[in-house]
Amino acid sequence: MNCYEHTFITKQDLPVSQTKTLLSKYEGIIKKNSGKIIQIEEWGLRNLSHIIKNNKKGFYFHIKLEGDGSTVKELEKAENIDEMLIRYLTVRVKKHDLDENYFEKKGLSENKQK
Amino acid sequence: MKKRRKFNKKQQNSRYSKLSLFQRPDVKFFKPCPFSVKNAPVINYKNIKLLKKYISESGKILPSRITSVSFKKQKELSTSIKRARLLALI
Repeated sequence: MNCYEHTFITKQDLPVSQTKTLLSKYEGIIKKNSGKIIQIEEWGLRNLSHIIKNNKKGFYFHIKLEGDGSTVKELEKAENIDEMLIRYLTVRVKKHDLDENYFEKKGLSENKQK
Repeated sequence: MKKRRKFNKKQQNSRYSKLSLFQRPDVKFFKPCPFSVKNAPVINYKNIKLLKKYISESGKILPSRITSVSFKKQKELSTSIKRARLLALI
């Protein structure tokens, strides 16, 4: 079993409910192909640094998973055809670090509570 | 007091007397690699704040002779910058 980090970006004009169904769809694909999901991060709607396929913004989803090479192969096979997605990236890591989340908006949430 | 003054003068002289246009300075300016020090930050494609220090305004990767990053860490940096570019983070 290897550790992977997977991120994908969806189109900007999708409703939030549809992005959730996309997430659950890919979760299902991972679980079917002997994979194991460890953590899911939602980075939310972010501005892209450059325009990709006429999109200026996108919803980011980040999945930390364990699995074999075949799970990643099946995942990317499904994502390649999907028109709702702009980009995806899988990176193999030696060890998952579950503490740090670089895209958590700490300052904003604290200000709102005050 | 007198002795100290003399000593200071000698130091100043020795530093500047040799410096001519075509001569290398005696003192080499050595800057250690910022990623090989203790408690150094970890290079990661998600850490945009750190990566932005090592790219130019137009988005190019800065050479290691300017930033004094070691060869091993420069390779890590360049791969993580390229990953961040692909996800349109930088």
